[in-house]
This record gives sequence, structure tokens and C-alpha cells, in this order.
Amino acid sequence: MSRRTWTMRGLTAVFAVMLLGAACTFGGDETDGDGGDGGGGTTGGGAVTLTMWAHRSKSFNQALRNSMRAYEAENPNVTIELETFDYDTLIQTLQTALPAGNAPDLIHMFGTWTCSYADFLTTVPDDVITLADAQQVFFPGPLGGFTCGDALYGLPEESNVEYGATLVNTAMADAAGVVADGWASWDEFIADAKKMTVIQDGAITRAGYHFTAGDGLAHSFLSLIVQGGGNYLNEDGTAFTLNTPEGERALTLLKSMVDEQIIDPVIYNDEQNWVGDCYFIELCAMGVVGPWAVADYKDDYPEVAANTIYLELPPLEDSKAFIADSGWGISVSTDSPNADVAWDFASFAALDPENAAAWNLTSGTLPALVENGEGAARDQLVSAFPYFETWFTILPNAQFVGQLPDRDRLYYEIIYNHGLAAFQGLETVEEALQAMESEANDTFG
Amino acid sequence: MSQAIEIRRRRRWFGGREGAQKRFVAGVTLPAIAFMLVFSLLPIVWAFALAFFDFSPRRAGTPFLGLGGNNPFVGLEHFRQMLDTSTGQSVQVSQFHTALKVTLAFAFLVVPLNLAITLPLAAMIESVHERVKPVFRTVFFLPVLASSVGVAIIWVFVLHPQNGLLNGIIRAFTGKTTQIGWITDARLVFLGIPVALIAVIVAYLWQDIGYNLVIFIAALQAIPQSVKDAARVDGASAWQTFRHITLPLLMPTILLTSILTMISAFQVFDLFQVMTDGGPQDQTRALSLDIYQEAFRFQKMGWAAAVSVVLFALVFVISLAQTRLLRSRWEY
Repeated sequence: MSRRTWTMRGLTAVFAVMLLGAACTFGGDETDGDGGDGGGGTTGGGAVTLTMWAHRSKSFNQALRNSMRAYEAENPNVTIELETFDYDTLIQTLQTALPAGNAPDLIHMFGTWTCSYADFLTTVPDDVITLADAQQVFFPGPLGGFTCGDALYGLPEESNVEYGATLVNTAMADAAGVVADGWASWDEFIADAKKMTVIQDGAITRAGYHFTAGDGLAHSFLSLIVQGGGNYLNEDGTAFTLNTPEGERALTLLKSMVDEQIIDPVIYNDEQNWVGDCYFIELCAMGVVGPWAVADYKDDYPEVAANTIYLELPPLEDSKAFIADSGWGISVSTDSPNADVAWDFASFAALDPENAAAWNLTSGTLPALVENGEGAARDQLVSAFPYFETWFTILPNAQFVGQLPDRDRLYYEIIYNHGLAAFQGLETVEEALQAMESEANDTFG
Repeated sequence: MSQAIEIRRRRRWFGGREGAQKRFVAGVTLPAIAFMLVFSLLPIVWAFALAFFDFSPRRAGTPFLGLGGNNPFVGLEHFRQMLDTSTGQSVQVSQFHTALKVTLAFAFLVVPLNLAITLPLAAMIESVHERVKPVFRTVFFLPVLASSVGVAIIWVFVLHPQNGLLNGIIRAFTGKTTQIGWITDARLVFLGIPVALIAVIVAYLWQDIGYNLVIFIAALQAIPQSVKDAARVDGASAWQTFRHITLPLLMPTILLTSILTMISAFQVFDLFQVMTDGGPQDQTRALSLDIYQEAFRFQKMGWAAAVSVVLFALVFVISLAQTRLLRSRWEY
């Protein structure tokens, strides 16, 4: 054979290998987690490897790793690998991986999402816990998110709260002459927030109270409707009722805080100066966000954390009820070949009071287990993480938001956009409420 | 006889030097064709198919690709909804209309601005000394090489209301605290165009002009000097030479760059997502971002696929119109 023929054959082989190599790597779902795609665990000689996906949060991920290492110590044949994704990427990855059959064994799932993925999740086995028993051991709010119809699709680990109490920087309060001991009314609150606001040349350089992030605004609005004696859903839960006197009162109150120049929603919102960032870099004196934020930020901002307390927000009237989402917990996908081991770990992490409490402490989240929210267990948690104290006091007032048809759209596209439009004068309160109700009802399909 | 012809045909295709060459070409191109079929054509066909279904990855459909069942066939329903301009339209339809307007405004602003900047710039660079030309070409082309996400992050920093460079410069000149929300204040509008959209346009132009610039420089260099010398001999001024000689001869290049820029402008995604994520108040919600959010955030794949079909049709029609309008009979 001629040299030219060998050369051509060699080139053909090289091109083919290059193209195949490119095809094999192109389109691969590269997670920026600890490595590798999701996929079921492997078995071999009794050894089991489980994979878990979770959203990226320093304190949450540390808490999960602690749970995993503790479980592995008791079960040496089991290895659990954690892969983390930033929040939006996790949502997208779940949306593609679950229907495609590429989901991991374990998913750290947000309760309010669970029912939308129920087709791809296994129900909690009865030998782990029945729904009836779960209703006794878990708070109704967190459990509600994982309950779809009459089936339980996960075990909650936290009671999520994003309203009810506010972060308060006591150093800023002292400097402004504010006595940080709570407020009997919104007028008192607004007055104190104004004192803590710093305005230079007409621009707010430090907000008095940050509530204009997506979660804060939605929870504030819905909670104030309920506190005003109304409801955001009709009786059978088939339509939203936002354009009501209670809705108008709630939105008007929130707008009044912007008009009083306690916050500028143009500068402080979900995209810029998000409440956690804003508070801990001291651009906000107060802000509404759950205690998990303190766990996330305290190591990087110890001075601010040392001057931080939570104080209960004033009620609108007599009712102190506030709206809460379900919370994060553990689900098992139908793709897992080791579902029994996966549920065993989930039970270890979420049902064992001591392990669950340890998880709550590290992540800065309120317990989902009733046992850990009362008595000596609660006192221990408060002693170890004082930021819990106010939240435990108000936790009984938390009301599960319910199974909404499209929670993300309602919060982040409808209430957030129209709320900010009303605050900035782009829409009147009436126009904003009309649009909110109309668009929210579209989500029922 | 026919057998002999057949044997010769087979030898032509499969034997000898010609056959070897054909086998080489087939061997080299087959993987590329397979790659394109699987990763380019198939997704396009799938997107067209999904556009006729109310498909969500959350719902389990029939075993056939998940279509049908809980993901029912809806025919042209998505496209019918897109034509709904009544006040009771759904939020996804109103966001589609907004995205369409934003995308058209973006594309029809970017193309003329891009050409208006790059063409004179190319002419100016062509007029400088040979030794200096590469420096200018490199400087203007560098942003093209940068990652779009990196560019977007830089511009977010520049436009940050508190720590941004732009407000800092204003502050330095005025001595007053300046916290203009260039990309967060929905009230800021200039000549009817949201300032946030203008900010994205500026960022896009900053990154993109280098690309068209090198194309125009190459095209200018291809114009024979003799043509311009003849015009000068006839008494034409520099402007007259540019207007009546250079510009007509550049028409094919202008057509190419305007089509490429238009297609590219319709598909911009990363700048919109990183700089503004569609805000404030959907003022920068382009069709590409709308498709992404509907598909991956709200899991309405069928609707998102229908919007992508509309985007495809839009780009196709506008490119066709551009080709007809800007075609040139000038040759040299």
C-alpha cells in the first residue's frame, strides 16, 4: 500500500476520533458540583453509593455533609456523594433529569415543588413512616408541601419562614436612638425604620427596612392580607382573591414605607442589594429574611452577626398569622436502584430528633419536627443559635401557603413585578391589584 | 456491454484513486453529518413538534416521547393565543408580546448603530499608517474574544447604582451622591426607549463592533486603488469618493454584516440574562430570555417551543427582506 494511502487512512481515523470525542463531550450536563452527572447508586459486594443533589448554600451544604458523614459512620458500606447547584440551575436540572430518568437517588427538595414532580418521586414507605404518623411528628406547614393528595413524597427538615420577624442591626438602632424592643403598630415600626434610614443628597444610602426582594415582598403581601382578615384564595382554593379591600390595605401599607423613604425599590430589590447581602454589608438596618441567612453570612460578617437580633414584626390588627412556605426536605427519585437505602438515610437525617436538630443548627433553619420545636430540645437549639428565639415564639402563627398552581410565577413574576410597579408609581395600587389577581388566576390554567 | 459499464461505474465509485478519495471524503464528513443530525437537526425538529403540544417535563405523558396523555396535542392553539391582544390575555401571552417588541426594538436599533459605528471606524483605521493599523484592529477586536457573561458582569458593575463606575464618575463631577438605577429603574426612558434596554444595547455594541470592523477593513482593502485613483483624477473629493465609489462597492459586505448582525441580535441571551434578567418590569425581556424562562423556569416547554418557532420565522423573514433590499449590482 502506498504512503499516500496510509496517510489518508490515518487522517480519516484522526478526524473520526476527534469528531466522536467532541460529540461525546458536547451537550454533556456539566454540573458545577462535586463532580459527575446524577445517576443511581451502584451496588457491588454490599457496597452502596448514593448521590444527592442540593442547592448551593454554605450552611445547608455543610449540614447535609454532616448528616451524610454521620450516616456513613453507622453504615460503613454506604457512601453518599453530594452534588450542589446554584438555585436556578438546580431547578432546571431537576426539570430535565427527572423526566429523562437521570435523577440522583436523593434530592434535597423544596416542599412547595414536590407535587409538581410527584410523578418522578417515590412515596415514603410505610415502614419508614405513614402519612398519619407523619402528621403527628411534623409541623403541618413543612409536611404540607410534601403531601400530595393522600401520599407523602418526602421528609421535611425545616419549617421555612420568610416573614413574621425582621433582622435588626442593634448597633445602627443604638446610633439612631431607636430602642430595639419590638413594635406595637406599623406606625411605630415605620417611625423607627425612618430613623435608621440614611439619605444623602436625596438618595437612600442605607435602607431602614428591606422587604422588596422576591420572597420578602410576596410573603409580606400575602401575610398582611391574612392579618387584615382576608384570604388570598377563595373558599375552594380554585381562584386567587388579591384585588380585595384587604389586598388594597396590604399593598397600600407596603407602598407607604416606600413613600416614607425607608427603602428605594429601584436600588434594593431581588437583583441588586438582595436583602441578605444588603443587611450584612450594612446597607440595610433591618430586613425580612429567615434565620438561615444568618447561618450563611455570620462567618463572613461576624461583627454584623454579633449586632444582630430578630424582632417580631407588628401585626396589622389582632391576628399575628403569617404565611410560610413548606421548607427543604429529602425526597427519593424513582430512578434510584437503592431506594430502600436512600429512605433509610432520609429517615436518619429527618426523623431522628437528634440528627434533625443538628441539621437545623448548622443550617440555621427552624425544625420541622414538633419534638424539636418544644421543651428541652427547643431550648438547646436556642441556646446554640440565639437567632432562633424570636422565631420559636411566633412559629405557631405560621400558616402554610398551600399548594399553589405556580408558586414561582406568583411570587417572582406577578406579585414582585406589580408590587414594584406600584411602589415606583408605574401603576396605581388598584391597577397593580387587578393585574396581580388576573395573572395569578391564569396560573390555574 | 452493460456489465462492462456497470463494472466501470463501480470502479469509479469504489476503486482506484477516485474511489479512495470518495471514501476519504465520506469517512471524514459522515461523523460531522451524524453529529449535526443528532445535535442540530433533531433538536430543531423536536422543537417544531413540541410547539403543537401542551408539554411540560413535570407531567408524565404517553410512552411515545412523553407526548400525548398529560401532555396533550393542542395543534395551533399556542399560535392562536399569541394573536390574542385582548385585555384578558394570560400573563405568558402578554409577556410574549412584550418580548417581541423588545427583541424587534433591540435588533432594529443594534444593526444601524453597529454599521454607523463600524463603517466609518473601518475607513478611519484604513487611512492610518500601516504599522499602526494592527494595533487598532487588535484593540477593537479584543472585546469580541471576551466571554459574553464576563462582559455582562463588567457592565453590571459599571452601571451599579451604588458602587458603579458610571455613577462614580457622575459623583466625582457633581460632588453629590448619585444612585441612578440604570438597569433597575423602570421609570428611566430616553426617546421612548427604556434606559435599561439602551444599557444592554451599549454593552452588546461594545462587544460586537470589533467583529464587523475586521470584515469591513478586509472589504475596504479589497477595493482596487485604481478605482479610487480614477475618481480622484476626475476631481472627486474624499467624501464623494466614499459616497459614490466605496459605499456601493461595499454593499455586498454591508448586506452580509447586516444579516449576520441581525441574526445575532435576535439570538442574544446571555447579556439579557446576566445584566437584567428581563427587568426592570420586563423592559429587557427579549424573546430568547422569554423562551428560556418559559421552558426552564416555568416548565412550559410546549409554549416555549412555539415561541422559538416564531423567533425562527421572524429571523428568516427579516433576513430574506434584507437580502432583497440590500442586494447590489455593483461589481468591480
